[in-house]
Amino acid sequence: MFRVTMKEDLNEQDYYLEVEAPHVSRHWRPGQFVIIVTHERGERVPMSVATINGGRVGMFIKKLGKTSVELYRDFKVGSSLYAVAGPLGRPLKLESYGTVVLASDAVCGHAEQLGLAQELAKLGNKVISIQTFKTEKEVYPEKYLAKKYVDEHFITTLDGTAGYKGHYIDLLRELLARREVKAVFAGGVLANLKKLAEATAGLNARVYALVRTIMVDGTGMCGSCRVRYNGVIAYACRDGPWFDARLVDWDDVLRRDARFKKVEKIALDKYLAR
Amino acid sequence: MSRVVKKRFTPKVLPVSERLRSFGEVVLGYDYETSVREASRCLRCPLWFAPCSKACPLRVKVPAFLEYIVKGDLEAAARKVYEDNLFPSITGRVCPQEWFCEGSCVVSKIGESVSVGLLERYVGDYARENGLDEKILAEMVSKNSGVKGRVAVVGSGPAGLSAAGWLRLRGYEVVVYEALHRPGGVLAYGIPEFRLPRSVLDHEIKKVENLGVEIRLNHVVGKTVLLSELLSEYDAVFIGSGAGTPKLLNIPGVDLNNVYTANEFLTRVNLMRAHLFPEWDTPISVGKTTLIIGGGNTAMDAARVALRLGSKPVVVYRRDREDMLKTARRDEVLHAEEEGVEFRYYLQPVEFLGDENGFVKAVRFEVMEPLNELDERGKKKIVGTGRYVEIPADTVVIAIGLEPNRLLMEESGLRFNEDGTIAVDDHLMMSLPGVFAGGDAIRGESTVVEAMADGKRAAEEIDLYVRRKKGLA
Ligand SMILES: Cc1cc2nc3c(=O)[nH]c(=O)nc-3n(C[C@H](O)[C@H](O)[C@H](O)COP(=O)(O)OP(=O)(O)OC[C@H]3O[C@@H](n4cnc5c(N)ncnc54)[C@H](O)[C@@H]3O)c2cc1C
Ligand SMILES: Cc1cc2nc3c(=O)[nH]c(=O)nc-3n(C[C@H](O)[C@H](O)[C@H](O)COP(=O)(O)OP(=O)(O)OC[C@H]3O[C@@H](n4cnc5c(N)ncnc54)[C@H](O)[C@@H]3O)c2cc1C
Ligand code: SF4
Ligand code: SF4
Ligand code: FES
Repeated sequence: MFRVTMKEDLNEQDYYLEVEAPHVSRHWRPGQFVIIVTHERGERVPMSVATINGGRVGMFIKKLGKTSVELYRDFKVGSSLYAVAGPLGRPLKLESYGTVVLASDAVCGHAEQLGLAQELAKLGNKVISIQTFKTEKEVYPEKYLAKKYVDEHFITTLDGTAGYKGHYIDLLRELLARREVKAVFAGGVLANLKKLAEATAGLNARVYALVRTIMVDGTGMCGSCRVRYNGVIAYACRDGPWFDARLVDWDDVLRRDARFKKVEKIALDKYLAR
Repeated sequence: MSRVVKKRFTPKVLPVSERLRSFGEVVLGYDYETSVREASRCLRCPLWFAPCSKACPLRVKVPAFLEYIVKGDLEAAARKVYEDNLFPSITGRVCPQEWFCEGSCVVSKIGESVSVGLLERYVGDYARENGLDEKILAEMVSKNSGVKGRVAVVGSGPAGLSAAGWLRLRGYEVVVYEALHRPGGVLAYGIPEFRLPRSVLDHEIKKVENLGVEIRLNHVVGKTVLLSELLSEYDAVFIGSGAGTPKLLNIPGVDLNNVYTANEFLTRVNLMRAHLFPEWDTPISVGKTTLIIGGGNTAMDAARVALRLGSKPVVVYRRDREDMLKTARRDEVLHAEEEGVEFRYYLQPVEFLGDENGFVKAVRFEVMEPLNELDERGKKKIVGTGRYVEIPADTVVIAIGLEPNRLLMEESGLRFNEDGTIAVDDHLMMSLPGVFAGGDAIRGESTVVEAMADGKRAAEEIDLYVRRKKGLA
């Protein structure tokens, strides 16, 4: 069960991992995520869904801490994960908006773009995608970019070595000045989502963000993932993970993301020292 | 009645000094001799009268099984228990017996009630350790001829496991759908190992699987598979999805780091084994002092877990000890007290205070006082005094209760009560024909044994429903 069917590098720190999970793929809709557990002692780790190929679920994963590094090093094609649960979270209620922008600057955001782009295109939207990387070397292989599903695709790099020089927020600002963008969907680095919410504060378009929080069960049972949303407490796993970016209390999200920083380092160091 | 032994025999208990850093089971139970002596205290009320049995939600025939213990025939005792209760090793450990069987025992009029729970546990453990349980169940299931139908069960907590077991015994094929990667519901993620060892729980679940019940883990009904699909694939559906969503305090600072809900705190440890981090991957972060807000079983469990993680637990309850014993199992309160958990009463939290990094550093409480009036649940009404105190703490666990998980609601279009519980009729059937429900999902927070009793009764109702539908009844 949950056999790994493919593993490929996306760049130095991100990789693509595909597993058999037909129970997840049957009802998955864009915006929903999965929770994976590597082995019996593993943590329940949420992941965005990048691709669905028949009964296989593909993810983009960043080598970050113990789980993601171990998954990269110790799991090969043919190995099995201990658990894959989902689809979890609410599917995004997508519409025909007109011109929409997808923006991302990190692994989960890049993953979400693929499903969203296809669905938004199906609904007749004009889809513009912006994918931000640090430098040219980090740009994903073309087949993993949203490029093939969208009307216009932009790569931006922070150092300008490929595509537009700057962050997706910079390019988005320019686009917003020139075009009538009706909706923005963004995911990736939390601090930049906060900036996005600020940059689009008065804007008459919808702005949705992937609110990445620390989860345990992913079913609304524990409250670990809670975020302050529009003044009340929401559970990212059950009520999200996509929310109206301008109603999210981003300081709260950023603070709660640092809850386990100290101990997480212990786990990674211990694993690496094996 | 002069020959009645007024005092109960005490079970072996792990010494407090050995409990502080260990998750080993605290109550070690009776040995053979003590169980015979304790069972001999029973006056053997006739079954039609026996108040203990009437007060048990499962109607376990207490005097009958105690009589077999006295005779030394433990296999017969086990058979007697299994007629009504498939999980004596669980109920014997976690039932709040003082509210049920033991609370009504006639011996309690002149002395201490008979320790029905410990005896039931003894019989259950004896059957398990000697392979009798599998034998008894195999005999029970072999009485069926042919398959009567197929039933899907949502959730593998006590309600779901009990429904599944009893349905198998009535001749149904059963598939249980469980959202998490481990079965058991609150038994697995809520109740700590020092009260219900994992090996016991694992065995009880295996037992149900060995009966032929399939448990599909990682399946969230409403997401992975829809209720409508279950209804077209099965003859009936039983929902035992529990009361899985924690209530939060709507006061400033509730978002601060190291402010946990009891469910998160307990799940990280019980289900994910965070106390064994980094051998196990899931972390938990606790400081020197843990304030637990609440006074039920969940609060006691959180306090005793915090203690075992090396933190100093302080339970803060807004009423007094007497009222706390109406919501928490007596033994757990006593054990928490003897382990050195500190208790503060008549304090209601009004604000969590944080440090510059967003971690909690203290909680502000209003001092409450009782009125001379009782509320609907027989607890004293309380009012604020306008006086406040601040208690420093670097970890807080909110254990003020749970409400049903609304995950299922979104998809199913079923009728729910205002408080989120599922509305059922006298036959435990919901507004949708063929869909039955029980346990915390219909009751709100209740007990393991009531959930099991619902599962058992639902199996009976489902059997009737399916046979009627198929023209067999
Ligand atoms: C809805 C959602 C979608 C996500 N999609 C992706 C994705 O597509 N690709 C990807 O690489 N990552 C994704 N993540 C984040 C991913 O879950 C974490 O990176 C992962 O848990 C890190 O585990 P680790 O052991 O490797 O690192 P750790 O050292 O344990 O943690 C590093 C950081 O990861 C985050 N994190 C840790 N544990 C959890 C947890 N249980 N739940 C959520 N976040 C946690 C915290 O920010 C933490 O500081 C997603 C998270 C959410 C909530
Ligand atoms: C910490 C704690 C301590 C307690 N101590 C005691 C005690 O000592 N004695 C006592 O009698 N009672 C105790 N209780 C109460 C008791 O545990 C519950 O009343 C009982 O577990 C309810 O059983 P249930 O089967 O209805 O639900 P649960 O045990 O909650 O099980 C529900 C199951 O359904 C699953 N589920 C939910 N939604 C879905 C879905 N959509 N799809 C698939 N699966 C789903 C959940 O993951 C879970 O596994 C305690 C409760 C807590 C939280
Ligand atoms: S099941 Fe619980 S309430 Fe019933 S007799 Fe056994 S211990 Fe008592
Ligand atoms: S009420 Fe007490 S004395 Fe009577 S049968 Fe039950 S356990 Fe025995
Ligand atoms: S992760 Fe537990 S409630 Fe969302």
